Amino acid sequence: MTATEFALRTDGVGKRYRKGWALRDCTLALPSGGVIALVGPNGAGKTTLLRMVVGLLAPSTGTVEVLGHDVTASTPQTLSRVGFLAQDHPLYKRFTVAEMLRFGRACNLRFDQGLAERRLAKLGIPLDRRAGTLSGGQQAQVALALALAKRPDLLVLDEPVASLDPLARHEFLQVLMGAVAEGGVTVLFSSHLVHELERVCDHLIVLNHGRVTLAGDIDTLLAEHRLLVGPRTATDLDRAGTVVEAVHSDRHTTLLVRDGALPAAPGWQAQPVALEDLVLAYLRRPFEPSAAVTSGVAA
Amino acid sequence: MTWLIWRQHRTEVCVLGLLVGVFGIALLVLGTQAHDLFPGGPARCAGEAGVNEACVASFRRLDEEYGYVENLLAGFYLVPVVIGAFLGAPLLARELEDGTWQLAWTQAVPRMRWLAAKLGALAGVTVTLTALFTAVLTWFRQPFDAWEGRFQYDAFDLEGLVPVAYALFAFGVATAAGAILRRSLPAFGVAFGAFLAARMSVALLARPAYATPLTTMEPVPVGGAKDQAVAGFADWMIEHGYADATGRRLSWTEYYELDAAADRAGTHLNQFLHARGIQQFSVYHPADRFWTFQLIEAALFAAVAAVLIGVVVWRVRRRMI
Repeated sequence: MTATEFALRTDGVGKRYRKGWALRDCTLALPSGGVIALVGPNGAGKTTLLRMVVGLLAPSTGTVEVLGHDVTASTPQTLSRVGFLAQDHPLYKRFTVAEMLRFGRACNLRFDQGLAERRLAKLGIPLDRRAGTLSGGQQAQVALALALAKRPDLLVLDEPVASLDPLARHEFLQVLMGAVAEGGVTVLFSSHLVHELERVCDHLIVLNHGRVTLAGDIDTLLAEHRLLVGPRTATDLDRAGTVVEAVHSDRHTTLLVRDGALPAAPGWQAQPVALEDLVLAYLRRPFEPSAAVTSGVAA
Repeated sequence: MTWLIWRQHRTEVCVLGLLVGVFGIALLVLGTQAHDLFPGGPARCAGEAGVNEACVASFRRLDEEYGYVENLLAGFYLVPVVIGAFLGAPLLARELEDGTWQLAWTQAVPRMRWLAAKLGALAGVTVTLTALFTAVLTWFRQPFDAWEGRFQYDAFDLEGLVPVAYALFAFGVATAAGAILRRSLPAFGVAFGAFLAARMSVALLARPAYATPLTTMEPVPVGGAKDQAVAGFADWMIEHGYADATGRRLSWTEYYELDAAADRAGTHLNQFLHARGIQQFSVYHPADRFWTFQLIEAALFAAVAAVLIGVVVWRVRRRMI
């Protein structure tokens, strides 16, 4: 792959605030196209990583390369290729929706006003209303329409649906996925919700305690991991270092293993693992520096 | 960008423009009437005040009819901080408060260009409004200045170049405080406090030291009024008092002892002092230093404003916000 075929490449990226490191040793390579989910609990460093991706924050260590360009250069050309929807989808509250679109037009090299107007009309959002008087779901839709009207090559969304009610959340994801289906745009979004991801995403990054603990193509990750269920045992089963998590019940032991490397012992059954269980298992793991798992195209 | 800046800050600009307009027109109307008292111009009349009865009458009427306005004008020393802080405080703080900095800086306008446009436009409005208001005020005060000089705090601080520099200083403090505190209202408060503290300490401590004051010393005249100033009325008197024949300055206690001694001796005070070779002295800045002092003080505040703006630029460039 050449450099420009990566939507995003980070190399040893870290960010230190006064309180300490929010993100450390983050090395990622994400292909163009498709939808990438960034998952982790609150405070894992998701917002920090996304802000560095769109150039709002400068990394303390390492480099961030978006669409083949170093983001800290921030030229109008590179900025115009990336759309960003910040957490709580901020808008100028006293601008009308039409003025928000004018803002987008005034501040961008390319801005598809017609596209934005069509999207908003379809959702029944009037252009003459002040942004601050719209419902949370409508504000999110206006912010999304603004970001999509840039016709970005990479669209970054920070917790886009966290503050929305279920109906607005559904509508929002529908519009987003519609835009992805129209083609051309790579979507990177963060979430602390794990369900629904499988339906929507192609690629997964799990972030915990400021470190990447799992990254890769979702199909590959699911194929690599399986649950092994067998009689309860207390012996150390992790000889090969491939056991992600061991759960013991009264009679059974359930192991989540990578690469299916555990030798098939009598009485043990292999099962596929659900994405949600896989993510939760990695989030529950205590942090070990060498344990980061990457697969697929990850460097 | 022009449209965006106007749309975001039009409320402040309109409110300030309206205030400056209303006060400006009021001053123009009152000032025209006050100037009409002096057909030959207040400056020439002041020169003839001792000789020309009409001029004396004019100045008396000025004091009686418009003296109250002059007293009110003292309150206008706050005009620069209101203009500068009102425009500077929300520049970054409002974006940071509402989270819209993330929107503004992820469009295709690089953040440094965005910042330069905003700083340029709003500093420009600050300078324009303050300069307009100061021009009207300076013109309004001409008759009063002709009589009282321009070095008093209610003249020097309101006229010429310094108000514009004060406004830029307030703009700089408010913008920097907004960038650091991330809130408009506290930033406005900080700018207000910093303005009062800086203005007061500079006016009281730094300003008299911009140049070495002149000193005059001469024997107490036999006749003449008590405490008659040696310097001209328009000069800025720093200190005055009495010295003995050798030039040693007398403390006021020593002076009052002499006063009491003159009383006991039943002699006229000035004659008593004159007989003992007592001299009176003045330490003062002559009136023609007005523009030099204006330039120095304006440069001082403008330089601090430039440093503060530099801090803002540095923080935004380093992506510390």
